[in-house]
Amino acid sequence: METQKKKKVKPSKVLDYLKHDDPFSKGVAFCPGCGLELLLRFIPQVLGNDIVITGTPSCSAPVLLGQNKQSWHTLSYFGTLMTGAAANATGLVRYYRKAGIDNTVVCFNGDGTAADIGFGNLSGAAERNEPFIYICYDNEGYMNTGVQKSGTTPFGATTTTTPYGAVSKGKNLRRMNLALKMAMHKIPYTATATLSNLADLAKKLLKAKEAKERGFAFLHVFAPCPTGWGADPAHTIEICRRAVKTNYFPLWEAENGKIRMTQTVKKPKPVKNYTELIKKFSRLTDEDHEVLQDDVDYEYCILGGLSVLESECRLPEEAPTHEAKGESR
Amino acid sequence: MPKNQYFNHEGPWSDATGPLMCTDTGDWRTKRPVVDAERCIFCGFCAIYCPIQVVQMKGESHFEADLGFCKGCGICAQECPKNAISMVSEEEFQS
Repeated sequence: METQKKKKVKPSKVLDYLKHDDPFSKGVAFCPGCGLELLLRFIPQVLGNDIVITGTPSCSAPVLLGQNKQSWHTLSYFGTLMTGAAANATGLVRYYRKAGIDNTVVCFNGDGTAADIGFGNLSGAAERNEPFIYICYDNEGYMNTGVQKSGTTPFGATTTTTPYGAVSKGKNLRRMNLALKMAMHKIPYTATATLSNLADLAKKLLKAKEAKERGFAFLHVFAPCPTGWGADPAHTIEICRRAVKTNYFPLWEAENGKIRMTQTVKKPKPVKNYTELIKKFSRLTDEDHEVLQDDVDYEYCILGGLSVLESECRLPEEAPTHEAKGESR
Repeated sequence: MPKNQYFNHEGPWSDATGPLMCTDTGDWRTKRPVVDAERCIFCGFCAIYCPIQVVQMKGESHFEADLGFCKGCGICAQECPKNAISMVSEEEFQS
């Protein structure tokens, strides 16, 4: 009776997406509970082991690059500088096209490279519509060098360059919405994903691989850093889940700049529900929470507005069709 | 024969043709996940959310973590919908 009952429960559907082997060795030197490690092991299991990863100095680099003549994994990796990550991937793609090799180039970087240091050539590669996948894992700061603030660090977060004290009360500026910026380049595919919705992430990875045939694909993945944020390692997935449930990190995708929400939350919770798990927000007062809540609501309103804008504002008779737009790229 | 397809060397100095590097990450652990086989319903959430991907199915009974590499982060215990996994301090296992 007991075993029959057990067999009725089906394993999670996410396991069906994991069609390929895990190319990493078991004991890899990431912090316990690291969101990046889960993402890094997930990508080759979904996309296949024939990908070429190119990346920059970040938390992922010591593992992807290898140490002391030995390697942590059997993927192909090309390490480069933060100022030229997307330009380097462009060169790789063009070489493989000339050599007649069919593979997927994945440019795998943190938010520091994508949003701050390497944004110029990321924007350039998107404008030229280079056919590769750019994945930005967003841990909201320069975690590898000791938790400095970056462009995607949210309002009120305590970091080593925006400490809490007599003068500074955490970061006093709002974060940038990197994925929306990239969607406005009208590239074939832009998406945001997080680690609590792994089926959604796997679908978006496969869509990005498909969109790569037509041009640039950008994926923005929210990956918490328990060490840098002062969170319990056990709460990594819970933080991702609450970020989605509070609309702090809404999940959406955009094809050729046309935004579509992939997950809408019916009754979004107040952002305090998300910040209470994280120590870097522990100094926020109620007024600060209101500012953060306003920022979250504002960004969500813009996204929601953009997702219905085309159907509401377009003039029906002289509107170009969606297919014609895609061909012109 | 090199295992990776495109480069002979992974980066400036590392080489994937030999055995892979592996750290004894099981040594970092202060708490260990203990699975209650009776309550396990085979949903597999612990296996997919485990950052190290070391939670494996143990025959027909339950899921269990490979303690050689488990870092003891506790994500499996947090995400288990039936609360079948509890984190027990390593002190209790020292004989």
